[in-house]
Amino acid sequence: MTIEAARNPHPIYFAGAFATGGLLTFMVHLNGELARYGNPLFSSWSAHGTGIIAAVILLLLVHRRRRPKTEKGLHAPLWAYFGGISGAATVMLTSTAVNSPLGLSGTLALGLAGQVVFSVAADSWGLFGLPMRRPDRRDIAALGLVVAGAALIILFGRGAA
Amino acid sequence: MMFFILLASLGGVLVGLSRQLNGRLSISTTPLIASFWNHAVGFAALTGLGLFIGGLLPAGAAEAPWYAYLGGPIGVIFVAAGSWAIARIGAVNSALLIIGGQMVTGVAFDYVSAVPASFWANAGGIVLIVGGMMISRGRRKIDRSQ
Repeated sequence: MTIEAARNPHPIYFAGAFATGGLLTFMVHLNGELARYGNPLFSSWSAHGTGIIAAVILLLLVHRRRRPKTEKGLHAPLWAYFGGISGAATVMLTSTAVNSPLGLSGTLALGLAGQVVFSVAADSWGLFGLPMRRPDRRDIAALGLVVAGAALIILFGRGAA
Repeated sequence: MMFFILLASLGGVLVGLSRQLNGRLSISTTPLIASFWNHAVGFAALTGLGLFIGGLLPAGAAEAPWYAYLGGPIGVIFVAAGSWAIARIGAVNSALLIIGGQMVTGVAFDYVSAVPASFWANAGGIVLIVGGMMISRGRRKIDRSQ
């Protein structure tokens, strides 16, 4: 990964990110099922546990054949290992908010807003070691349309009828 | 109420933060290794929390269907793919496409499982999302021609 590649992204990255969103739909559904039988903490805990097993299996399959390049240089700073803490904390915050007057749709909509504000700030200032790429008018217009569409679906579409 | 609004918004910020940190780790390692650490560190934190407040092994959990446990393995791919994408197309574009993909498949999922839904709100939402994604892709074409 070079800075040049970051500036000139291939369409496959866009397709990949879109497909990733599709995975999220199934993940949220399955974790929700688990929370329905148990509780949100159990759901998140066991998803992380089974995730470790899956990651180890995948790493054995992939990295045995294709060793990660050792001249990647730059060691990751310690804080880069704490993405999992942030993810685990998300589960607690959102499962608390879902059971408040906000409900599921309010929680989803506000979570969307939080994610958008953070991503704009992260790109604008190059936060946490990723390349800075100042969002231009088209980025903001695209984001506005996607957020408006998502809000329409969350607040009025799903399960509204 | 203000408290819950802050909690819900902070939840979204943490989603973005998590993707940013995992993306940074994946630059020094690989996206799959970043996903492994994301799950290992999260598991340790949740184990500690569960031992502290209880509820780690609820009674009804044994009755859950086996496939409900596939959320974890899907999550590994999700985190790896997110780390891969954010390092290449940035936080704004990653968020935009992941949200778009989630919404479009979510609506399709609801229709397949016959969840009652408002057709016009969903259709309007998908048109806005696809429009937004086309605008963001349009810029890339200009970039490549430079």
